[in-house]
Amino acid sequence: MLVGMNMTTRSDAAGAVSAGAAVHLTGLRKHYGDVRAVDGIDLTISPGEVVALLGPNGAGKSTTVDMLLGLSTPDAGQATIFGRPPAEAVAAGGVGAMLQEGSLLEDATVGETVAMIASLHRAPMPVATALRRAGIEDLASRRCTKLSGGQKQRVRFAVALVCDPDLLVLDEPTAAMDVGTRRGFWQSMREFTDTGRTVLFATHYLDEAEEFADRVVLMRAGQVVADGTVAQVRSVVSGRILRAVVPGATAEQLRLLAGVTGVELRGDQATVDCADSDAAVRALLAGYPRAHDIEITAVGLEEAFLALTSSEEEASR
Amino acid sequence: MKTGYLVLEAKRAMRNPRFLFFTMVFPVVLFLVDAGTFGKERVDGTTVSYTAYLMCSMAAYGAFAAAMNSGARTALERAAGWQRQLRLTPLTPSGYLTAKAAVGFMVALPPVFLVSVVGGLVEGVHLTPAGWMQAVLGVWAATLPFAVLGLLIGQLATSETVQVLTVGVTMLFGFLGGIFIPSAVFPDWLNIVSKALPSYWLAEIGHGAALGNHDTATAVAVLGAWTVVLAFAVTRRYRRDSARV
Repeated sequence: MLVGMNMTTRSDAAGAVSAGAAVHLTGLRKHYGDVRAVDGIDLTISPGEVVALLGPNGAGKSTTVDMLLGLSTPDAGQATIFGRPPAEAVAAGGVGAMLQEGSLLEDATVGETVAMIASLHRAPMPVATALRRAGIEDLASRRCTKLSGGQKQRVRFAVALVCDPDLLVLDEPTAAMDVGTRRGFWQSMREFTDTGRTVLFATHYLDEAEEFADRVVLMRAGQVVADGTVAQVRSVVSGRILRAVVPGATAEQLRLLAGVTGVELRGDQATVDCADSDAAVRALLAGYPRAHDIEITAVGLEEAFLALTSSEEEASR
Repeated sequence: MKTGYLVLEAKRAMRNPRFLFFTMVFPVVLFLVDAGTFGKERVDGTTVSYTAYLMCSMAAYGAFAAAMNSGARTALERAAGWQRQLRLTPLTPSGYLTAKAAVGFMVALPPVFLVSVVGGLVEGVHLTPAGWMQAVLGVWAATLPFAVLGLLIGQLATSETVQVLTVGVTMLFGFLGGIFIPSAVFPDWLNIVSKALPSYWLAEIGHGAALGNHDTATAVAVLGAWTVVLAFAVTRRYRRDSARV
C-alpha cells in the first residue's frame, strides 16, 4: 500500500500522526533558480523506523536533509521533528546528524572534538561511550588532521552520536569507508537502533539500504517516486529473472515463450525477464530440453531502483 | 554549559605556531626595528621620546591584528562545514559568535603586553602608572570592535580569500587610523575620515598614554558604536548563511 509511482503515498495518514511522528515533511519545496532541487515532498517517519533515502546524484536528498535539519529554509511546505520545528528540536538536543562533506577541526584532537560537542548538549552520553560505539577509542588523542578518510567518518559518527539523539540523520555515512569499516559502522548502528531510535540515512549503496533499512524512500528529480519496505519497492518491478544456458535458441524464439517479457542473449547464455517464471521455466524445458544451469532470482533493489529512476525520466520527457 | 566550548576554542587559538608568531612576535620585532631607526627623535612639539610613541603604535597594531586574524580564521571552519555541524547543537548563533569574539579579544592581550614589556625593560620607555594602564589595558579594551570585525570577515570570506582580505583590511585601517604613520601628516579631509575609524581611536588611546592627551568619551563612543554595528552585521550574516560552502 505504501508503494507508489508518485509522491502522495503517505500524505493521507500524515495529518493524524504528525504530532507523534519522528519526522514529518509536508509539501516541502526548494528551488534554486530554475532547478527544482526538492519539488513537493511528503514524508512521515514514525519513531523507531530506520529509513533509507535513496536516489541518484542530484535527486534532492541532501537538500531535503538540510531542510529537515533546519539548515536551509523551504520555499514552501514544512518540516517538523517530533512535532516541533527543526530549530527547536535541534536546540533541545534530540537530533544528531552526520552531514555530507563535513570535515573536522584541524587543530583539535578526536577526544577534544567529541567532548566539545558533548559539552554543548544538555544530556549527552559519556564521551568514552560515543568513541567506543564509533570504534575510535584508540584515536582519542589523535589530531583530526592525522586521520584516514574512514577514520574521519567514524569521528563524525561519534560527533553525531554523542548527544544521544532520538533522531539520527546520516547523509552518505559510509562514503569514504572500506568494506570492513562499513560493516563495523552498521554493526554499531544496529546497537543504536535496537534501543528504538529513529534513523534516516541517505546512501548510494543499495545493499546497505536492503540490509539495514525497515523502509526505503526513493527520490528522483526532487520527488519521492517510491516509498515502502524493501520488498514492496522491489515488487514495483514485478517478476523474476531467469538465467540459463540454452544452446541453439535465438532471442526471438525465447521471447515467444509463456510468461516472458524480455530476453537478452549472449552466446548461449540467456537472461530472461519473466512476469511468470514458473510458466517460463516449464515452457523453456519443453521447447529446449538441452537448456541447463537454470537459475531464477527475484528482482533486486538495484533493478527496482534503475527501473523506477529511468522509467520516470523517460516518462517526463 | 558553554565553558567547555570556550576552553577548547582558546586552546585551539594557542596551537597554531604561525598565528602565534605573526600576532605575538612580529609586533615586537617591528617595534625593535623601528625604535632602533627612529627612537632617538622626539614627538613634534613635545619632550616625549618617539620610542614611547612607537611602542604604543606597535602595541595597538599587534592587538588589533591578532583580534582580526583570530576572528577571520572562522572562515576555515565555515568552509570545512564545521559551522553547519555546530548549528546542529544547542549552541546558539550568539553563543557561537560571542565565544569566537571572546577568543579574538583574548589573543589581543599578549601582543600588547609583550610590546609594553619590551618597551619598558629593553627600550627604557617611561610612563606614569596611569599611562601604563592606558597603554596596556586601554589599548586592549579598544580592540573589541576588531575582534568582531575579524569575525565578520570570517563569515564573508572563503578559505581562499580570507588571508588577502584580512591583510587588506588590517593595512587600510592601520594606515588610515594613524597607527602605521602619524595622522598629523594627513591632509584635512583624511583627518576627518580617519576620525570615524575605530583604528584612529585605538591609536589615539595608545598615543594618549604617551602624550597625555586623551578624549576618552569620544573614543568609547566611536569604538562602542563600531562594536554594536559590526556585532549586528555578523549576527545577521551568520543567521542567514547556513548553506553548504
